Amino acid sequence: MDTLQQNHIVNCQEEILNVSDLCVFRSGSKVIEDINLSINCGEFIGIVGPNGGGKSTLILTILGILKPKTGSVKIYNDSPLSKNVIGKVGWVPQTASKLPTTVQITVKEFIRLGVINKKSFYQLGKQQKEKVEKIIKVVGLEKYANTRITHLSGGQRQRAAIGKALVSDADLILMDEPMVGVDRESRNSIMKLLDGLCHQQNKTIVMISHDLAGIKQTVHRMIYLEEKVRFDGPTSEFPELSSLALLRGIESTHDEAESSEQKSSNNEAQIILVPGSGGKK
Amino acid sequence: MGLGTWIIEIIGPLLEFLGPYLPGDFFPSYFLYGWLHRPLMASLIVAIVAGLLGTFLLIKNLALIGDGLAHVSFGGIAIGLVYGGIGPLWYALIFSILAAILIDQLQTRGILTGDAAIAIFLTGMLGLGLVVMRIWGGAANATIDGYLYGNINIVDEQSFDLIATICIIGYVSMLALYQSLLSIAIDPIAAKVQGLPVRSIGLYFSVLTAAIVVSMVQIVGVLLVTALLVAPAATAQLIGKSFRSCVILAQLIGVITVLLGLYFSAEHDTGSGSMIAYSCYLYDGCKKFIQSRR
Repeated sequence: MDTLQQNHIVNCQEEILNVSDLCVFRSGSKVIEDINLSINCGEFIGIVGPNGGGKSTLILTILGILKPKTGSVKIYNDSPLSKNVIGKVGWVPQTASKLPTTVQITVKEFIRLGVINKKSFYQLGKQQKEKVEKIIKVVGLEKYANTRITHLSGGQRQRAAIGKALVSDADLILMDEPMVGVDRESRNSIMKLLDGLCHQQNKTIVMISHDLAGIKQTVHRMIYLEEKVRFDGPTSEFPELSSLALLRGIESTHDEAESSEQKSSNNEAQIILVPGSGGKK
Repeated sequence: MGLGTWIIEIIGPLLEFLGPYLPGDFFPSYFLYGWLHRPLMASLIVAIVAGLLGTFLLIKNLALIGDGLAHVSFGGIAIGLVYGGIGPLWYALIFSILAAILIDQLQTRGILTGDAAIAIFLTGMLGLGLVVMRIWGGAANATIDGYLYGNINIVDEQSFDLIATICIIGYVSMLALYQSLLSIAIDPIAAKVQGLPVRSIGLYFSVLTAAIVVSMVQIVGVLLVTALLVAPAATAQLIGKSFRSCVILAQLIGVITVLLGLYFSAEHDTGSGSMIAYSCYLYDGCKKFIQSRR
């Protein structure tokens, strides 16, 4: 296990996010159901799963962009986008690939956008400007503060996007596949930066990723999502790639004589390995 | 006293002071004679606001919304010219704002995606305008050219008051919403999570765009609005080092191209609106050429 993971000390045990019996429909069809999660402050969580498994849907519901059909999402015991929650949640999209290439915006201008909110949407105060400068240093982009964001590499852009989410003082940072288009070296340094944020500043990070191997070394808790939560537990207990099929319910480990229909129903019953145990240590 | 008259009273002496230093036989008249201050000021104010608006439209990938709304406003202008009462610009304003709200709602509700909503309103309202002019146009047909291709000399006192009011409200609003508009254009989800009223700002921006486009119709014409709206902003994007510099440059380039357009139209009688549009295009083309050679 990674040394960073071993040294992980959760300083606060406060529950930051609670998802209960969540069921979300998109375009009339069910995407996720029976999602129950409890996430504490300081955790670094990786969400993995196949395409269409509902990872982005879950994140967008936590953010309050999608409305649940049934169940609830509570951040600090409040609904997403409610008065008390705004400013406490940060969002990092797939910036490297999704940032508009036509916008001539510098790193500083970009990170500044993270500070604005309903109350201060016009001009940044001195304190806010100082915070922006500090965050630029935290994400290691001080040399590029006045460089256009389109001139940065994928990894640097991603750092800028993380900076934008951090500058609002968000406690919970949600990331949707932030490592797409980022090379291995930058990926490692970004993961290190995120891990540092969890440890030193008690930030809670929930990250969607396709790169299982890449995140497994750093995150403390893994969630495998395919319509339902198929695995939720400490990273050390996450099955190897070869046994992932078990999680997905593709292969049966039971009696071969059973019909294929029976196989799938059996798997449905047993695939939840560690239901909602969490990754707390 | 209207806002337009007030602006001219303040800026007039400065224009008269600059007049003798300007080149050309006819061009300085715009600065020297009081009765030409109104069209000149209208062109300059519109260029500044169009530069700012154009920069935001470009980052939102909405370069053609200006064209769509200008064509919609033509329907209003045609009805205004035929039925009279209030000035044609007021009709254009009502048509354009209603269309902007409908386009915004059709897009945000996902009923029509992409440019489809713009295309439908553009052709529909242009068609309505042409039908109205064909049947009931009569003497008004002579004036319609000015609205199609732009003619700064049709800016009367009433129109200038409206143009100045729209432009000042538009400029101040866009500066106040500067960070919010940029934030929404770059990542609407992040903006919503930060607590910005994304939908309301989007709707207000649509209404503002419609109003500013209407204010430009007499200057550059329904057919050429996009030139002054998009070309300076596009040129600014080529040379700007940051978003802030793009915003400032787009306004500056807008003013330069308007002055160039007015100069050539005065000296060579090329028509003010078309020459402003053409000089926008030439300026943009030259900059792109120079940059590609570097």
